[in-house]
Amino acid sequence: MANRGTNRTRLLWVSLLVTSLFLITLDLRGVSLISSIRNGTQSFLAPIQRVGSNFLSPISNLFEDITNLGRTKSKIDALRAENESLKSQLILNENAVGELEQLKGVLDLAGKARFKVVSARVISKGGTGTFGETIVLDSGTNAGIKRDMTVIAASGLVGVVKSTTATSAVVLLMSDPSFRIGVRVAGSQDMGILSGEGEGKFSLRMLSATGQIKTGDVLLSRGSSGDKPFVPGVPVGKVITVDNATGQLTKQGRVQGFVDLNALGVVSVVIGNIGGNPGDALVPQAPRPAPTVTIFVTPTPTAKE
Amino acid sequence: MFLFQEALLDRIDFFVGGFSLYLAFFMAWIMQDERNSAVTTGFIAGFILDLSPTLEAPFGLWTLVLTGMSYILATNVRAALDSELSPVVMTAVTVFGSSIALILFLLFGTILGQDVGSGAYVTQEIIGNALWALLLSPIYIPVTIALYRGTLTARNR
Repeated sequence: MANRGTNRTRLLWVSLLVTSLFLITLDLRGVSLISSIRNGTQSFLAPIQRVGSNFLSPISNLFEDITNLGRTKSKIDALRAENESLKSQLILNENAVGELEQLKGVLDLAGKARFKVVSARVISKGGTGTFGETIVLDSGTNAGIKRDMTVIAASGLVGVVKSTTATSAVVLLMSDPSFRIGVRVAGSQDMGILSGEGEGKFSLRMLSATGQIKTGDVLLSRGSSGDKPFVPGVPVGKVITVDNATGQLTKQGRVQGFVDLNALGVVSVVIGNIGGNPGDALVPQAPRPAPTVTIFVTPTPTAKE
Repeated sequence: MFLFQEALLDRIDFFVGGFSLYLAFFMAWIMQDERNSAVTTGFIAGFILDLSPTLEAPFGLWTLVLTGMSYILATNVRAALDSELSPVVMTAVTVFGSSIALILFLLFGTILGQDVGSGAYVTQEIIGNALWALLLSPIYIPVTIALYRGTLTARNR
């Protein structure tokens, strides 16, 4: 009797495993029904994620805040001085101010490059179990956002639009392991391929054996045909280490992205490129040191009385 | 649980890796379930997880992993343990079960041609999830037990 029950369970288990394999096969063969199901889920989830985002935004970076507590404490004295001037701004929500700053920065970048952009708020991100680096935006096809459009933030590239619904869009972040982008070195124009490696890490491989890189080199997006998926000239990152191992055909290195992908509040999706290739115009400028005033005093001899 | 995970938990920036409450809840549930319904629950839970729009893997991969794991947990693992599951045993099975599910997902994903990232990144994600599953078990294990008991009819009890 018990044996019959075990056999029935085993039969059910095998049938369900076969069904799972059937689903995987359908997806790998590109059956549109499967992607429609995921898009449908996104349409359903977007309003809930929006509510969740509003609810959680003050505490979503709780752990980051805790780990930075020591460093933050040392800044308290300096911040106290600023506190008075900031009081007037407290009417606005702290979160809204942060988003406004990000929006201003990204619009500055887009304006300099003459990109036509649509700005959107980040309402969710891919979690554990996806092993992918993605975010969800609160705007979609209704705002003109389509698949394979470049997504930027104030400091540079964020990723590329992976899928859209009427009111939301899923963006594949540049740190995702499947992310690849053609880049060029600002100045020398040597070209390479940048790959995401998860958790904000990137690797760079130059395309030609003569391509040179050095620490501190700024990398810009090379751009794609028809500006999809990438518009040219967007700052991507900075070379932090160069791998000088012998036996490599081309130079390789490690790159630090310009954008903090864990602190994205507002981003912009490039829906058009009016100005063409901006060249190296978007390379981030190093902060200029404030001029120091030096006064030389030459004592003049006074007449002897 | 899926909505809670997608709309709220995924927004939290955990200090190490992330935490999938959905997986932990699933493991704790399956441990209490009867064999036949455990397999069906595994299939449905995997199917729901595959619906995640941020998932890069082929549709059906989580269904395959969770269906496979549900049978093994409900038969082999369950048979090796006491009939009265203590919270400590449930926590241990939940933590190890979640980690093995993630490893299997990565393994099958790699075989199917999915990019999974560097070893350090993957290790951090899996260890992070196990750590949070362990730390938060005093909260979600009693909830899962209570919810599961709530779904039982008087006869089942």
